[in-house]
Amino acid sequence: MIENSSSEPKIVKPKVPNTERISLMTKPRLILRSVLAVLGLVTIYSLVTIDMAGLKLKDAFHSLGLNLNAMFLHPNVGQDSWSVLLRGLSTSIALTLLTTLLGAVIAFFIAVFSARNLSPTWVANTLKAVMAFIRSIPTIIWVLIYSAVMGLGANAAVVGLTFHSIAYLVKAYSESIEETPQATIEALKASGVRFWPIIFQAILPSIVPALLSWTFIRFEINFANAVAVGAAAGADDIGYYLFMASGFYFDFHEVGLIVYLLLGFAIILELISMRLRGHYLKSN
Amino acid sequence: MKAKYSSPQQFFRQRRMRLTVVLVILLLIYFGSVLLVNFNTFSSLAQIPAGLVWLFKTFIPNQHTTTYLGPIFYQLWRTLIVSISSTICAALLSLIFAVLGAKTTSPNRVLQLTVRFGASLLRNIPVVAWAMILLFSFKQSDFTGFLALFFMTLGYLTRAFTETIEDLDTEKLHALQAVGANYFQCVFCGVLPEAASTMTSWVLYMIENNIRDATLVGILTGTGIGFLFNQYFKSIRYDAAGLIVLLIAALVIVLELTSTQIRRAIA
Amino acid sequence: MLKVNQLDKTYGQDKHSLKSVSFTAQPGEVTAIIGPSGAGKTTILRSVNQLIRDDGGQILLDDQDIRQANKAELRKIRHHIGMIFQNYNLISPLTALENVLHGRLGAKSTLAGMFGLYSTAEKTEALALLTEVGLKDYAYQRCDQLSGGQQQRVGIARALMQHPKMILCDEPIASLDPKSTKIVMDILRQLAREKQLIILINLHQIDIAMDYADHIVGINDGAIVFEGPTEQVNEAVLQKIYRQSADAKVKVAANES
Repeated sequence: MIENSSSEPKIVKPKVPNTERISLMTKPRLILRSVLAVLGLVTIYSLVTIDMAGLKLKDAFHSLGLNLNAMFLHPNVGQDSWSVLLRGLSTSIALTLLTTLLGAVIAFFIAVFSARNLSPTWVANTLKAVMAFIRSIPTIIWVLIYSAVMGLGANAAVVGLTFHSIAYLVKAYSESIEETPQATIEALKASGVRFWPIIFQAILPSIVPALLSWTFIRFEINFANAVAVGAAAGADDIGYYLFMASGFYFDFHEVGLIVYLLLGFAIILELISMRLRGHYLKSN
Repeated sequence: MKAKYSSPQQFFRQRRMRLTVVLVILLLIYFGSVLLVNFNTFSSLAQIPAGLVWLFKTFIPNQHTTTYLGPIFYQLWRTLIVSISSTICAALLSLIFAVLGAKTTSPNRVLQLTVRFGASLLRNIPVVAWAMILLFSFKQSDFTGFLALFFMTLGYLTRAFTETIEDLDTEKLHALQAVGANYFQCVFCGVLPEAASTMTSWVLYMIENNIRDATLVGILTGTGIGFLFNQYFKSIRYDAAGLIVLLIAALVIVLELTSTQIRRAIA
Repeated sequence: MLKVNQLDKTYGQDKHSLKSVSFTAQPGEVTAIIGPSGAGKTTILRSVNQLIRDDGGQILLDDQDIRQANKAELRKIRHHIGMIFQNYNLISPLTALENVLHGRLGAKSTLAGMFGLYSTAEKTEALALLTEVGLKDYAYQRCDQLSGGQQQRVGIARALMQHPKMILCDEPIASLDPKSTKIVMDILRQLAREKQLIILINLHQIDIAMDYADHIVGINDGAIVFEGPTEQVNEAVLQKIYRQSADAKVKVAANES
């Protein structure tokens, strides 16, 4: 091992011929660097060619500064009243709760059939592909499509939001289900337990924390989406007032107040999710 | 678990009770929400199949649709590169913020709290609000979309990167300190290599996500692919709108598959 | 020569504190610090290169007091003190070769170190060191693909890359199987003999300490209770080092059997 090392402590004689070229580049690193390089080049190209619509950046940032000042330092209710805005906020929250609950229940049943360890491969793969397709289309487009079928309003908003939630949650849930050890399932199957009892007695209890955590993440996403739907598809929620205040009345004081309301709720959500996570980490 | 139940019957009764209470609460929340938003569960759900049928009938591109291909591809390309550039710019800044803000590498506590607070603020302002705030100052330009995506991504990635760094084993940094490495060397030779693959995953995920959000931002700010979709949709040119939907889906799926491949290759 | 004089350290709740610890370690010898868990072995070792800041005393390495050094001087001193760890603490996605090259960081400029710019001579030396510890074929492997024993040998090569006067070993074999333990300990002893290094090593296993160490420092509850050549360690000495420690009694019993 070190039998032929020199006795002089500070000099180690190279025992490898210098002809060998020593490169520190490994294949994964080469790929990583090329990916980053490509992304970097695209970024530069994009920034150089971006359409500024004749903007003067200095003026624009100055006006942004003024608006931010109006928003965050002098918020008020503007055109609407507190009761209207709070009702809008509670509509958004209700929309979020509704679409998350509905999405979670439906997604769970679809997830059971799209988990590879529970259902035939072709069923699982087909379902997964369909879900991937639904997921790849932005939520807002689903809402708009359904509003063309059902007319603008709450029904289209709920269905559109739920649609995307289902596709998202099916992926998350089925992956959680697939993590259940095959042996557990086989042991129960061998003792003659039927399909649904296996799901509810064996699999569900062991993945409840994962399901809850995913559902909660989706809840947060749905809240942002609910606001977006109000703004872009005219559901009667806080997003609509945000859209009107900033796009039609140019009342940045009201925009500020609405952003504060949204921030407040989002921070409450974050605190709850931290609590939930802490709770489950402790009990596990 | 402690034996606080006098009999198995009591244990199961209590468990059933808890389950019932949870179910009742969820049902109450559900029906409360239904009342608040005026949602008709059954008639709406019953319309889902009809909606899909309608979708497949009217949203199918036809021969005429090819005339729209030019502008659609152009906007799709712009959307893609704006999503990438906003993510990359945000990622570079996030990396600096994360190193300054992570407990393990932060030079001081004030900075740590500032970074956390700032990231939380950026993240929790919905993208709609960003779009509307920026629209006024930056007008109907791609740059508005870029900035809206940039700020949101900055918030998300700063948190994700901070957590990635904090999950690393601090002992490994001690090892580099023991070698006599200074702060920057510790960060570049220890923290970054350890975190690189996780961080790249996050970046790829955010690019994907930004394409979807770009559509929304476009609808709101009247730019990019979202604007084009909205235009066709409102003027009932459903074939063209359908083509956009299909192409967005294809783009997102291709990106998803590519990033899975990349993740596997660099892991 | 390493000379530690009256080193003191108190933690918040008087835990793991050091009480006026003094001992010496000679070049060419393996010096083992033994004692029950929580006696302060790790604190002593990490005070020597100031990863843990102590409260008072003297740490003289070749008559230079490490405790008096400022930040830049400390980095320079640390550059000549190698350290290996129980959990190896290699940067896992990097190759074995790069981890060995990290040993040069203390001698490089900030920028060169940041971007991993190493000279051909340095790379050649790193490969030679890996060859010395028997890992030439693994030079381009990611470290998390190596076994524990192999990772520890990479750790040793990293320490050697520093051209050290001394190597600190913090429980280097606690996570290793008996075969890897023997390989690692053999290397460490050989390094002491052939390169005249000071090897200071924290050990849990008394039998290993008795087999490999030339000099034993026994510590109990933050205070030195024995220091001397390994030959002088007998049952009475061990009783003194491990007294009032159930954990240790089990160990002594296991050692006797």
